[in-house]
Amino acid sequence: MDMETSFAAILPVAFGGALLVYLAGKVSGALRNVLAVLLAAAPVALVAVLYGREVRIVYYSLPFLDAQLALRTDALAWLFAIAVAAIGLLSIVFSLRYMQGGERLDFYYFAMLLVNAAMLGIVFSADLLSLFVFWEILSWATYLLISYRGGKAVAAGLKYMVMSIAGSCAMLLAVASLYATCWTFDIAALARQVGAMSAAYRLFILLMFVLAFGIKNAIVPVHVWLPDAHSEAVSPFSAVLSSVLVRMGIYGLMLIMYGVLGQGGLAELKLGPVTFAHVLCWVAAVTILVPLFIAMLQDDAKRLIAWSSVGHGGYMVLGIAFGTTLGVAGGLFHALNYAACVALLFLAVGAVEHRTGTRDLNELGGLMKRMPVTFVTALVGVCGLIGVPLTNGFVSKWFIYKTLIMEGHPFLALVALVGTWATILYGYKLIHNAFLGQLPSRCREVREVHFSMQLPMILLALAVILFGVLPGIPVRAISSVQVSLGLEALESGLWALPPAVGELNTINILAGVVASLAIVYVGFALAKKARRVDQFDSYGAGSYVPPDRYQYSVNFYQRAHELIGPYVRDRVDDFYGWLVAKAEGFFEEARKIYTGNVNTYAAYIVLLAALLIVLKIGGQFG
Amino acid sequence: MMAASTVTRIVSIAALPVVGFLVGVLFLGLSRKITARIHRRYGPPLYQPIIDVVKLLTQKENISHGILFDLGILLGLAGALITMVFIPAGGLRPLSASGDFLVVLYLMLLSPLGVALAAGASENPNASIGVSRKFILALGYEVPFLMAALAVMTRFQTTSLLEVVSCQEGSVLDWGVFVLPLPAVATFLILPAMLGIRPFDFAGAPQEIASGPMVELGGKYLAFAAIQGALHTYVVLALFVDLFLGGGASMLTFLAKMLAVFFVGVCINAVLPRFRVEQGLRYLWKWPTILAFFGLLIVALRLE
Repeated sequence: MDMETSFAAILPVAFGGALLVYLAGKVSGALRNVLAVLLAAAPVALVAVLYGREVRIVYYSLPFLDAQLALRTDALAWLFAIAVAAIGLLSIVFSLRYMQGGERLDFYYFAMLLVNAAMLGIVFSADLLSLFVFWEILSWATYLLISYRGGKAVAAGLKYMVMSIAGSCAMLLAVASLYATCWTFDIAALARQVGAMSAAYRLFILLMFVLAFGIKNAIVPVHVWLPDAHSEAVSPFSAVLSSVLVRMGIYGLMLIMYGVLGQGGLAELKLGPVTFAHVLCWVAAVTILVPLFIAMLQDDAKRLIAWSSVGHGGYMVLGIAFGTTLGVAGGLFHALNYAACVALLFLAVGAVEHRTGTRDLNELGGLMKRMPVTFVTALVGVCGLIGVPLTNGFVSKWFIYKTLIMEGHPFLALVALVGTWATILYGYKLIHNAFLGQLPSRCREVREVHFSMQLPMILLALAVILFGVLPGIPVRAISSVQVSLGLEALESGLWALPPAVGELNTINILAGVVASLAIVYVGFALAKKARRVDQFDSYGAGSYVPPDRYQYSVNFYQRAHELIGPYVRDRVDDFYGWLVAKAEGFFEEARKIYTGNVNTYAAYIVLLAALLIVLKIGGQFG
Repeated sequence: MMAASTVTRIVSIAALPVVGFLVGVLFLGLSRKITARIHRRYGPPLYQPIIDVVKLLTQKENISHGILFDLGILLGLAGALITMVFIPAGGLRPLSASGDFLVVLYLMLLSPLGVALAAGASENPNASIGVSRKFILALGYEVPFLMAALAVMTRFQTTSLLEVVSCQEGSVLDWGVFVLPLPAVATFLILPAMLGIRPFDFAGAPQEIASGPMVELGGKYLAFAAIQGALHTYVVLALFVDLFLGGGASMLTFLAKMLAVFFVGVCINAVLPRFRVEQGLRYLWKWPTILAFFGLLIVALRLE
């Protein structure tokens, strides 16, 4: 199969597959499950063979607008497409057991595959109209999945939908305005023409797109939909939502900032000494700092990870907005790394919830002994979030810190580094409260999840470590993105950076860690072997040990909470809540005009007529 | 030539942990002695910590709470070892070219992570409370420490510790402490917190929470934790000397500077009582942070 056919097949397979799976579900559940996995796997293969290729196909000519709708793939599209396809496949595999016995499964698989297809459509769109259409399909499919469980989920879905529509409106405005100015939807053509436009107009276009993509990527202050959406969505979808779906915003930012406006064009957008990029950097800094501290104080595991997603989105925006070679590479690389880590964590939390029926961090504990695979993979995921050396998150964060420091922005670097400390705190809390400490008696019978649920977690954990030890693999794909966008490309060996970039050699670090562990282990093995004791054989310092309640997890960071709690409330959400309450009050008052009494309406008409007459007379004399 | 430098490198990699361990335990012994003298006691001998470690390693019985408990302790010590070889120590700089200051900042995480995992696996709430306190403490001192670290890196326009040291090689006035007085003072103020000694020893407070993360440790486990503590002392002091006191031309001057910093620190800490957790956090986020913040601000403004 040649490249063009293979590329042309992706979207029909993805969209047709969603429908096919839905229909298959009407025949038999087993058939539907097999088809869902196969049809989620097909895009992975189809996208993978496109590596390093650039293909463009026109799939529809609009007869009335004299415009062509086209799809294309390049390095940037490929990078996001492969992540979308891979995470989509893993979440479908995870769903098989997780969703077993659930209701409306045909609909669930249909919507999951539809979301994947829409995301593939977004990244492969060669023109803004296609992009907008796929963007809308994605928004609505996401809404269906967020509110899939009903009840509170519907409210969360609506919150998402309202914000999403606001973003779509902004995007539509920009697309229509660009079409009216340039008479084309084609992204490449727009990139050529945009240089001739005034700076103010370009800023307007950019702001509209940043609003649309920022809402998707949950940048503060338009992040409020994400924590609610995550706590209500089912876990496999949360994994997709947080790892790739919200990162469509990052894809969009890359596209509009570097694909359309270009690095030079961006630098011209400024007010006095303050450039647009500078403002976006500080928005990103706030997005890092506040949400990560909020995450620290959460007790719902999924809400905690959701806030973490908001915060880590800030790192990506920060890297991309900063715009240096290392910065853009770091931002993109972090998007990829975070996708693996957060998908892993949502699946792990889903596995815990699947077995114990709760994700309340105050009620769990000691699950390490019952769910070792889930524990180890979740630990790898948390290490990746923190950026412990030899995990992927370390390298991408190192890129970002390094460039912020070397370009002379220590305060931005400070925010990024302090955000990492917040990550350490909430990461440990997540691991500790769920998996460490004493096992409560009601979890004593818990078993490890089925292998089909373990497998996606294991694969993601392996990816986290592989990209941490050999960062050169993904960095190569990212360099080609930089080349295709006309940026300077980051050079990197498989595990070492050239000295001009900085001192980082992951293989030496690996060797050092392995060697030190070996030395320490020899000493450990030489000393007398230990006797294994159970969890009740612990030292109570002379005080009474209450059975089954000897666990410290509620209010884990209470002492810090007392100090920082008042500062890290989600005031933006409070503000929106206030706004909604006020607006409701206003509409309630406004509604009273409609009394339903014919006499009142007659009075309104008379009054209006009187007013018009007065105005008319006043106009004649005035 | 190539072979000779490789040999020196391997020797220095092997020698550093030994040096670090000896320095760490002797400093610990010294601190006990100094504290005792300030309290008008005689105090244990200088090499008492070594006796303790040997005693613990040869104890008849060890108990374990499972694989993660063991692994956490191993990772704790290995993490301290690996951090050491990335920090230039006088003439010895075995792996400094494979990772810069940012790498060191992250490698310094491995030890506490190992300890925290072991503590969580030890199935004792005292250990969990200790870890929670330790992390709050770390959040407290990391803010001023990161500010100071960034001030150094921004001022010298490098993230490499080797270059930070070589930037201070001229006269004494090129030392970080004179170039960047505010961050240096701030870092000195938080040294006890980084070392976990009084007044910031609430994470492992024996009388309140039965030594916190170490409550379930005994025998070789406690010995390993003690060695890790010694290496950690070395790491923190070595970093301070590299950042603010110009490193050292030879190992001897390097160690002398470390000793001087430690001596002054101990004299202050010997007369202070223990903070409560929130008091500690509040203190760390007040004076050291204010000093470090202005230090960083001055550096950032100079860039403009």
